[in-house]
Amino acid sequence: MSLPTDFGPDSGGRVKGLVIVKAIVYGNIARYFGKKREEDGHTHQWTVYVKPYANEDMSAYIKKVHFKLHESYANPNRIVTKPPYELTETGWGEFEIVIKIYFHDSNERPVTLYHILKLFQSPVSETAPTVGRSLVSESYEEIVFQEPTQLMQHLLNNIKPITNGQWTHDSDFEEKKEKTLEKIISAQGKVRGEISELKDKLQLAKETISKFKEEIAKLQNNPAASILSGV
Amino acid sequence: MADILDILDIEQPGASEITRDSIIHGDKAKKKYVTAKTVRRPEGMHREVFALLYNDNKDLPPLLPTDTGKAYKQTKAKLGMRKVRKWVWAPFTNPARKDNAVFHHWKRASDEAKEYPFAQFNKQVSIPSYSESEYNQYLKSEDWSQAETDHLMDLCQRFDLRFIVIHDRWDRAAFRDRSVEDLKERYYNICAILSKVKTNPWSNSVTMVNGEKRVYHYDAEHERKRKEQLKRLFDRTQEQIDEEQMLLAELKKIEARKRERERKTQDLQKLISRADSGNGIVSNQTSVVNEGANTPTGSTSTIARRHDRKLHKKKLTAQQRPVRTVETVTVEWSGIKFPEARGAGVWLRSQRMKLPPGVGQRKTKAIEQELRLLNIDIAPTPTEAICKHFNELRSDLALALDLKNALASCEFELQALRHQYEALNPGKTLTIPASICNTNVDAEIKPLGEIIDVVGSPSALNTTI
Repeated sequence: MSLPTDFGPDSGGRVKGLVIVKAIVYGNIARYFGKKREEDGHTHQWTVYVKPYANEDMSAYIKKVHFKLHESYANPNRIVTKPPYELTETGWGEFEIVIKIYFHDSNERPVTLYHILKLFQSPVSETAPTVGRSLVSESYEEIVFQEPTQLMQHLLNNIKPITNGQWTHDSDFEEKKEKTLEKIISAQGKVRGEISELKDKLQLAKETISKFKEEIAKLQNNPAASILSGV
Repeated sequence: MADILDILDIEQPGASEITRDSIIHGDKAKKKYVTAKTVRRPEGMHREVFALLYNDNKDLPPLLPTDTGKAYKQTKAKLGMRKVRKWVWAPFTNPARKDNAVFHHWKRASDEAKEYPFAQFNKQVSIPSYSESEYNQYLKSEDWSQAETDHLMDLCQRFDLRFIVIHDRWDRAAFRDRSVEDLKERYYNICAILSKVKTNPWSNSVTMVNGEKRVYHYDAEHERKRKEQLKRLFDRTQEQIDEEQMLLAELKKIEARKRERERKTQDLQKLISRADSGNGIVSNQTSVVNEGANTPTGSTSTIARRHDRKLHKKKLTAQQRPVRTVETVTVEWSGIKFPEARGAGVWLRSQRMKLPPGVGQRKTKAIEQELRLLNIDIAPTPTEAICKHFNELRSDLALALDLKNALASCEFELQALRHQYEALNPGKTLTIPASICNTNVDAEIKPLGEIIDVVGSPSALNTTI
């Protein structure tokens, strides 16, 4: 594949029928100080991040990542332009962080993620494994580039690995994906069965209703019969 | 501490307490309390009565009345800074009067003797005049003699065109009785003719518009009809009024019924269209069709439309609207339609799993509840396959919920029909297929003997006789 550096006058044109999917993981880790800090009452140190799911250098296509923190933080709009796209802070409370990802081609609109910063272990924890003494809360997401611009396609197809070693995550998303899909499909079967059963019942109910109505109509047209039968 | 002692009337023990204050101010502060000569309240006297006799300073009540009487006298109201000006009772003449009569009125002494200011309001109506020849040339009428016309013009002049008065003073001995309209018609006719003939505008019934003479045209026929109409309206009897009210009320009823029918046909239309597009099962529309059949002709509705709706609308909608019958079981179902894939651009997979805005809050809640029962995360890991299946699953769940609701209303209807049947035919009942009822197991499946819902039916009375 040739690597044109100049895309000509129609470089804003989009590549028809092409869909490129980039999986990412976003979330936060948090570590408890062990006590409340004297000077500001902060209890945790946390790091919010956006990282690639596969071993890829996202800076190839991401221009910057904008983290919007709670307004009580000084300078709540933090912008990270280079990987790793992460931000470390201290605090005492959980809040929603708005993460906005901008791409190198300004023709592609930025995408927005919402992450609830998690500091405290919930009593029933199934998704947040603890690593050492810290807590992890992260989500899997897929960025779908539908009919990307030619520039974007070029950038997306030329991504270098981010590390030579193993690229792993704290959460096992593959297993989770598999299990979730299994569960959903089995539930679907169950619900489908229920629906056909309900439809049959409804049909029967309709028939019975019309039957009942006939009976009542008969009685109303011939009231004498009922008196006789009563005697 | 000192206050409490004071309240309790306990004598302070000298200067036993040495505080910072007492050192600085010496004995001054203390003296205030001590000097007061205490008058003890006699035993048995109420505190309130005692308080009337002795005030807080514990002075004795004064021996002589101190009220000098001045305090409650009202001072004269002072309204302005200047001195008041004088009024005098003075004679005056009204130049509008011809008899030079002298009257008196109050006026300011300082005011100059001026012409009576209200004289200018004595406006004279200019009544057209005509000569003998003019009358013969233009104003001849078969109905009116010249003497009669002269009489009319004279009265108009005398009574300033107050036609009711003119009519009252009409010389009925000399001329035949004429109505107010007749008089007006003749007068304005003369005005119109004369204004055309004569050049100078002499009458206030002629106005110049764009250099053209405009003559007031009196429509006698219209006036006669108008008065006749008012007279008839006034002469109605109480029975006629009552009848009219009754008819109007009937009209409102018809209108209300018509609206109700329109509403029902609309419901039916919706159901039919839904059935055509959707799953093909339509709730019993027959009942709705039947009601549509006895629609009265359109003429009543057009009459109804003419009348003022606003007046009784509120009341009517509350009263006349028939209670919705059990028969119309509306069924709304269809899964959830998730939006198709959008055009070019970047988007997040998880956005695909958002429920479309058309899905209501209640339905969303119900679906989430079902998902929880199935032990499925309400926001699962968004991959393409999971997205697709998850959306399908939720669509199915929505459909299942709707079907359940439909079944419940059908069951309710069945129960109602059964009760109706039992009322008509006591001692017998209809059996609802058990499979339908299993949505709520405790639905009354009564043994025959227990059915007592027959009290009001006529056939039941017959059987007891």
